[in-house]
Parts: sequence; structure tokens; C-alpha cells
Amino acid sequence: MQANDVLAKAELLRRQLSSSFRDEIVKSLYAEAERIARRAVKVHGDRTYDLDQQIDRLITSPLTGLPIMLLLLAVVIWTTVEGANLVSEALAAVLFGIGDAMRALFVQANLPWWITGFVWDGVYRGLAWVVSVMFPPMAIFFPAFTLLEDLGFLPRVAFNLDWLFKKAGAHGKQALTMTMGFGCNAAGVVSTRIIDSPRERLIAILTNNFVPCNGRFPTLIMLATVFVAAGFQGWVTSLIAAATVVGVVLIGIGFTFLMSLLLSRTILKGEASAFTLELPPYRRPDILRILYTSLIDRTLFVLWRAIQTAAPAGAVIWILANLPFGSSNLAAAIASWLDPFGHLLGLDGVILLAYVIAIPANEIVVPTMMMMYLGAGMMVEGPGTAEAIRTLLIGQHGWTLLTAVNLMLFALLHNPCGTTILTIYKETKSVKWATVSVVITLGTAFLVTFLTASLARLMGWA
Amino acid sequence: MSPITWIALLAALALIVFLPRAGLLAQVRHYRTVRQREQVEDALKHLLDREHQGSHASPESLAGTLGLSRAAAMRLVESMEAQGLIETRGNQLHLTAEGERWALHVLRAHRLWERYLADEARMPLEKVHTEAHRREHRLTAAELDELEAALGHPTRDPHGDPIPTREGNFAREMGTPVTAWPADSPARIVHLEDEPALAYEQLLAAGLRLGQDVRVLERTPQRVVLSDGENEYRLAPAVASNIYVAPLPEHQRLPDQALPLAELPNGQAAEIVKLDDAVQGLTRRRFLDLGLTPGAIVYPELQNFFGDPRAYRVRGALIALRKEQAAQIWVRPLEPTR
Amino acid sequence: MPSKKVSLPSDACQTCPAYAQLEQMGIKVGNFDRVVALAGNPNTGKSTLFNALTGLKQHTGNWPGKTVTRAEGGYQFNGVKYKLVDLPGTYSLLSASQDEEVARDFLLFGQPDCTIVVTDATALERNLNLVLQVLEITDRVVVAVNLIDEARRKGLEVDTRTLSRDLGVPAVPIIARTGEGLMTLLTTVAEVIEGQIVTRPLRVSSTPEFQQAVSELATMIEELLPGIPNARWLAIRLLDGDTRVQKALLSGELAEIVARQSQADVQFSKKIALAGRQ
Repeated sequence: MQANDVLAKAELLRRQLSSSFRDEIVKSLYAEAERIARRAVKVHGDRTYDLDQQIDRLITSPLTGLPIMLLLLAVVIWTTVEGANLVSEALAAVLFGIGDAMRALFVQANLPWWITGFVWDGVYRGLAWVVSVMFPPMAIFFPAFTLLEDLGFLPRVAFNLDWLFKKAGAHGKQALTMTMGFGCNAAGVVSTRIIDSPRERLIAILTNNFVPCNGRFPTLIMLATVFVAAGFQGWVTSLIAAATVVGVVLIGIGFTFLMSLLLSRTILKGEASAFTLELPPYRRPDILRILYTSLIDRTLFVLWRAIQTAAPAGAVIWILANLPFGSSNLAAAIASWLDPFGHLLGLDGVILLAYVIAIPANEIVVPTMMMMYLGAGMMVEGPGTAEAIRTLLIGQHGWTLLTAVNLMLFALLHNPCGTTILTIYKETKSVKWATVSVVITLGTAFLVTFLTASLARLMGWA
Repeated sequence: MSPITWIALLAALALIVFLPRAGLLAQVRHYRTVRQREQVEDALKHLLDREHQGSHASPESLAGTLGLSRAAAMRLVESMEAQGLIETRGNQLHLTAEGERWALHVLRAHRLWERYLADEARMPLEKVHTEAHRREHRLTAAELDELEAALGHPTRDPHGDPIPTREGNFAREMGTPVTAWPADSPARIVHLEDEPALAYEQLLAAGLRLGQDVRVLERTPQRVVLSDGENEYRLAPAVASNIYVAPLPEHQRLPDQALPLAELPNGQAAEIVKLDDAVQGLTRRRFLDLGLTPGAIVYPELQNFFGDPRAYRVRGALIALRKEQAAQIWVRPLEPTR
Repeated sequence: MPSKKVSLPSDACQTCPAYAQLEQMGIKVGNFDRVVALAGNPNTGKSTLFNALTGLKQHTGNWPGKTVTRAEGGYQFNGVKYKLVDLPGTYSLLSASQDEEVARDFLLFGQPDCTIVVTDATALERNLNLVLQVLEITDRVVVAVNLIDEARRKGLEVDTRTLSRDLGVPAVPIIARTGEGLMTLLTTVAEVIEGQIVTRPLRVSSTPEFQQAVSELATMIEELLPGIPNARWLAIRLLDGDTRVQKALLSGELAEIVARQSQADVQFSKKIALAGRQ
């Protein structure tokens, strides 16, 4: 008896079997399962009232479904904005206080100026910025998001949005991977594995970056708070800021659909594949575990990565700002060289340079930018407060509302961070698709900001 | 420029041209072997095609099908004869045993690719043929086996043509052209001829598809009218002759009240009667694995606010299906008991 | 080896041995005595059970198809170290999807000493489909009926004794979230592994012509590989055209598994004998 004989026999038998034998196997399995379950499960009482069903009716109904989804998004973002404001300022005050004290110690000890500068104005300030800007929103957003995930709400979102994804030629589960992108785009890209069709999976991968990840939320929140909501008082401020961020997120979702549609009509042509999605029963979430996993696994993980890139980035900025070049320093020279291009997009050279330096991790864009502005030597009183930032950016660096709006759009649309690009490469095993992901996002970002800037200037708004 | 620079430049140029494998010359040579192989394989397929139609290919028909000049076709015939793939008898070209084996391999590759492209890559049906034609020359027999296994050993391509097995066996029956089918007796579409492409596209556009059950209502020299019980299809006889049908297997007839799950009203329980034959491969398995088997009770419970998808209660779980999927599941409404 | 001793929340179970305690070992891999696989449909609380047993805080979101690769952890129970392998949640083991391949191949080629199939008490019928498929691959199965609290809330009572009798393998009610029933589950797993509980798994038969083909092929496989535990399942896979099984048959991998398995049993009983002497 040889293995080959067995295989040959299997071939022969398979051809003799009727073509529906696989159907028959599953059918008999389920028939048996049904029989056993009927014997083992006793039903008590009236099952017609089912809380799950009532909730599902509510969140998928034409009248209440969409508002509930929007409301939940708004509540999560508002909580994040409100909470982050409280903590961020306190954290910044403490961290920068420590920095100043240590710096003074170094000066007293008569250490060379470049050591003091490199360590405290470069590396430490980079870290302090990242921790104070990044940590509070993440520590609030991640648990809130995880709570929705554990409840079983995300599949309902996928169910509600599927029609739109179908129209865009994409897979319904892309709604799931898109929402995962709110946490982290790299995680979102990995989660596209739940989509079997290679074509639709690529669409999901290439468009994942259009939802702002947790690393970019702080940027959006800061800009919305400092610029858009600046004219308001008290609790209205955070409400306006949250509304702005929700608006930006919706624009991002809009671009997700638009780009999916574009891709499925051009380079990734094809029909929608079969879509089946289980809507799992709601489960009571385990609050302690949610806090644990979202803080330890997610927040600290992302923060640690940000810190790892912020320290070298801080060092790079300090070196650039202190290397003489012509009449000023290298950072200023590069920034002024990028300035015309930045102006075209409604931004400026410093912002573009910050984005280049922050490619490894988008989280550090704002800190990088602030350090470069501050690097010019004009220290403002306590860098953490909104008022101080406003004075610095509007008063000293000529920012307008257009700059803030376009920076938000740019932050939303521009290329994925280094980790995400690497993840895309790993998941697709193709340099080509990794490149495409950068080209389409960056292209969209340039195009959109260029158009808004031109429009604003044409209409005389800026 | 100094002589040394010249020599270095020349050496570099020579390397670029003559480098084994990566050099330009090697690339050109490689490209030409690939082209030649594709040409031979296309020629073999043409011969096989003619043999299945009961006639034989000639150098002229070969030149016409492959778009070659007569001289080039003659050269191809000579080279294939030298390789022992074909024999010429008068003006007729015949496949040798070796040639037929190879031709069946290419045909198998073509039809498996078509199945893959239609089922898994979800490519529009009218594009499947061209793309499969590009890919059919690339796989070895072992790789084809893996593709076949991954697809769940399909027996027919998306047009209903049989897929040869590794040994080269396959069912030859193709059904009867609907133009020769008796009026009013039920039939199932077993094959839609994809050439000429124009007629094929017309059939697809009309909404006709493989596995559909139809009846001939009217047949005149001007037109052929088919019905699937719901829609009527009016076709020119030339177009209709591309539809091949076979008698309906007795046990697979649908009960009279059967309707697609997509058309079941909200809140109406029903029993699954069968999965449509058009659902094959992974999709069919996924349906079955989710418990969407004949005999299972389904109940449309939720509707998306755009009307599509709907979520159905099946065996205790809530499963969302798009309209396209739900249209492929036949159900029989149950008496309202809830 | 520094490992903190953690006892589970006190259990309703009365039959648990008093000395039983669970040692959480996290991801320390290697030097395990037994391998236990964790299978189940998506959303049955499989990962929750995994975390409760191993202390690994693997995140478990509530949406289908998350465990894309398998996670591994370990626990210690009554002095025996178990390695626990969390397989991707699947509805079935018959398809060519990546998840199902990972789960299927591990059960077949990983040869776990025992497999826990986690089921959702609120949707038992759907979950039993997978249980029945696992029973085709391996005899040593324990069915964990999870979420019995949710089921009770919905007015459902699962009679695990009837279930156990019908399936031919033990069925244990648990609530993975609170830890209820875990001690009984682990005891049962240990007893199945040691052979104190003898299982007689239910094998489902399909159409007569298919059964005929399966038994013909299974006989040939048994002839080729004497002592192979799941010839029937291999026959079904070969009829289905599973290339992984075909390759394993040709390369002799299946023969190795048969050899390795008998060896492992001898080694373990030696180890226990040594431990007893100390």
C-alpha cells in the first residue's frame, strides 16, 4: 500500500460522488446539531421579548440609526476633548516645570551650553510635548473606543454603513477595519485580514489612513480648541471643538468612500464579493479589563512608540536649529526654502518640515512644529495654555484660520506614518502597494489643501 | 575622456547587454521563448477546440485565430510538428497524444483561472475570459492542482464548460442549444457560449445566467422568447443559439411557492429550500458553514436604513447578507406562527 | 521559577479537589507536560476563557474574526504544566479560509492532548456544528458550555448531562467572565487526558454513498498508517481534496505523527512515575 494509491483512490471516489456531497456533509452535521440541541436546551418562559432585538431595532432604524451613531461618535470625541483639556495643561505645567528646573541646575553646574541645550531644549522638550499632548486624549479615547468594541457595537456600524460601502465597490467589513483605524491605522491595516477577497482587502488597506488615528486626534483636538473654538467661552468651547473634530472625521469617512469608489473603478476593478457578517449578541463589558487592555496594551504601546521617535526627533530639531547656515540656522533655511510650497497649500515651511521629521510617527507633528517655532528663541509664558499657543502662532508666525483648517485637512489626509507604511508592505508583500498608499494619500492631501487655499484666497477670506 | 574611462564604459555596456540572466540579450531571449510558448499553447488550444467541434484545424484557420501571417503560421506548424505535438494530414492538422495532453493542460488552466477570477477575485464575467487567457500559460500542473483544490474541485467554468481533470478526462456533454429545445418544457441553462463576445455580453446584459431555470415560450425565425417564471427574455435567434440547456433534474425542481430570500417580506419566517447553483466555491461553503443549509429556518429580523443589507435570524445567530447573496438562497415561506 | 500563585474566585463546584490550584504562568513557553487546544465559534468567549486560564491579557473585542493567528499561554493544575493554544474562532473546519486552515491543521498535525471546544449556551445548535467536526478529528474533547448566565437571562437552560451523553464527550457549564466552573473544566480536561474519562465521540454520517466512499478510503489509510487515530477524518479531507493532507500523506508527515504520539505517552508516564517517587 502506497500513499499514491490512497490519493488515486480518493480522486476516483471523488469523481464518483455526486457534486453536492459537500452540501450533504454540512447538512447532516447541522441536522445532528439541531437534534442534539433540541434535547439539551430547555426553553423557559416567554422569549418573544428580547432586549438585544429592541436595541438592534433602535440602532438600525431609518429614524434613529444614523443619529445614534453620530451621537455616540460625538460623545466619545467630546469626552476626549473635555478630559484632555483638563489634564493636558496640568501635565504640561508639571513636565515643563521639571525641565526648567533641571535646565537651571545644568546651567549652575557650568556645563557647556550645547550639552544643556541638546538634553533639555532638544530631547527632553520633545518628550515632554509628546507626553502632555498625546497621553491625555489617548488615555480617554482608547477605553471609550474599546468599550464600544466590546459591547458589540462595531458590527452594527458595519451593518448600517454597508450600503454605502457596496456602492463604493468595497466590502462591508471595511467598516470594521475603518473603525479599527481610529485606534491605530497600522492595527486597522492588519485587521483587514478579515476580508477574504484580495481586491476588496487592498481597497480597505489603501483607504484605512483616511480616518484619523489616535496619534492624529491630539493634533486635531489642539487645532480645533485653539483656533476654531477660540472665540467661545466656558463649556461651549469644548462643544464647538468636539463638533469640529467630528466634522473632520466625517470628511475623512467621506474621503474613504470616495477613494474606495475611485479605486474600484480604476486600478482595482471588480464586483463586490459575497458579504456575510454575524451581528453578535451584546455582551456585558468587563470594565476593569477594558481599562487594563486599552491603557496597557494600546495607550502605553502607542505612547512608547511616540516617545521613541520623539526623543531623536527632538534631538534632530535642536541640531537643525543650532547649526549655523548662512545668516541664520539650518532649520530656518530649510523651512524658508519649503515656505513657497507650503504657502501654496495654505500652510508654511515649518509645518511641512515638521511633517517630514514626523514620518516615523504622526503623533509628534504638533510637538515638532511647536519646538521649531519656539526654537527661534522667543519663549512664551508657560507653553501649555491655549492662549500661549495662540499668541505664538497667530501673533508671531502669521497663522490664520486657513492655516488651522488646512493643517487639520492635511493631518487627516496625508501619508500614513512609518509604522503603517511598513505594515502595509508586510501585509501586501508588495513595494508597489505600499508606494501607492503613500502616493494617493499625499496626493489627496496636496490637492485638497491647494484647492481650499486657492478658494479661500480667491474669495478674499485669507 | 581618458582611454580608461572609455574602456570602463564599454565594459559596463557589454555587461548590461551580455550578462547572463539579467542582461538585455538574455531578457530578449527569455521574452521570445515565453512568446513562442504562448503561441504554441494557443495553437494547441485552437486544434483541440476544432476537434471538439468535430472538424479539424488547418494552417489557414490557425493563421486566422492567432492573427499570424500565412508564412508565420506555416513556420509554427513545422516547429510544432518537429516537437511531436501535431501531425499534418493533407491540409488538416491533428493533435498527437502528447499534443492533446498539453492542450488539455492549457484548457484546464484557462477554465480554472476563469473559475477563480469569477468566484474569488469577483471580476466581471465579460472580462474573465481575457484575463484567464493571459494567465493560462503560467502555471505548472502541480500549481494547477493547488488552485483546483483551493477552489473546491469545480467541474465547470463560469460559462458552464467542463474543466478537464489532471488526467485530461472531462464530460463532453454541453447541453442542447435553446433554439432546438421543445417549447414549454422546463430546462436549465448549462452553458453560455462566450464567443462571439458580443452575443455573450448581450446575454449577460439581459440578465441570463448559468443554472437559471427557463422555459421556451415562443420560437420563430425572428425571435426566441424565454421565461424564468418572472421575467421574459426576447432574443434574436442568433444570440439565443449561444444558450445551451439541459433537462431539469427531477429532484432539483423548486416547489411552486419558492422565492429568493431577498424577496421574503420582513418578519416572515421561511425554510431554506436550496442554494442556487450559481453560488460556488468559497461563497457556497461560507453559506453552509453559517448554517444556511436546506431545511434551516430563516427570519428577516433587521433591515438597514437603505433597505440593504438585511440581517436574518438563522439557527440562533443574526447574520447580515447583502441583497445579491440573499437572492441566491431559495426559501419557502412558512405559515405565520409568530 | 518565580511564579505567583493565584487561586481562582471561589467556585460553585463542590467536587473540586481541595488542593487544586491554578498557577498562572503567562507566556513562559517550553517545558510543558501537556498541550491543550482551545477551539470555538467566534464570539463564544473563547479568548476570555484563555485569559482567565493563562492570565495573558489578550484583547477580546466583540466582532467576528479577530484571532488571526493563534495565541499561546500556559497554566499549571495539580502539578502538571499545560500549554494552552488559542485557535482562531471559526464556524466550521471544512473551508479553505485562512482561519479554518490554521485551526484544522493544528488539531490534526499539532496533536493536542485535549481540545476544549467553547460553545455559546445561547446558540448551542450553531456551535454544535463545530463540535461535531472537532469530534471527527480527535477523541479527546471537552465541551465547555459558556455564557450559561446569559442563557439563563434569556430563559434557556442547558442540560449538560444530556448533551454529554449525546456527544459522547464531557460537557461542562462555565461562565468564563466570572471564572465559574473553571475548576471543574480543568479537572475534566485532566481526567480526559489521563484516561480516567473514556470518551466515545459521536460521529455523524452523511448520505450512504458518501459513507461508503469514506469507509473504503479510511480502510486504505489504516492499512497504510496502522494506529492512526482519525483515519475517517483524513478520508473525508482527501475526498474533499485538501492539499495539505495530501502533502502530509506523501511526505510521511502523518506517519511521523503516529510514531511521535505513542512515544509521548510513554515519556509522560515515566515523568509522572518519577515525580511520584520523590
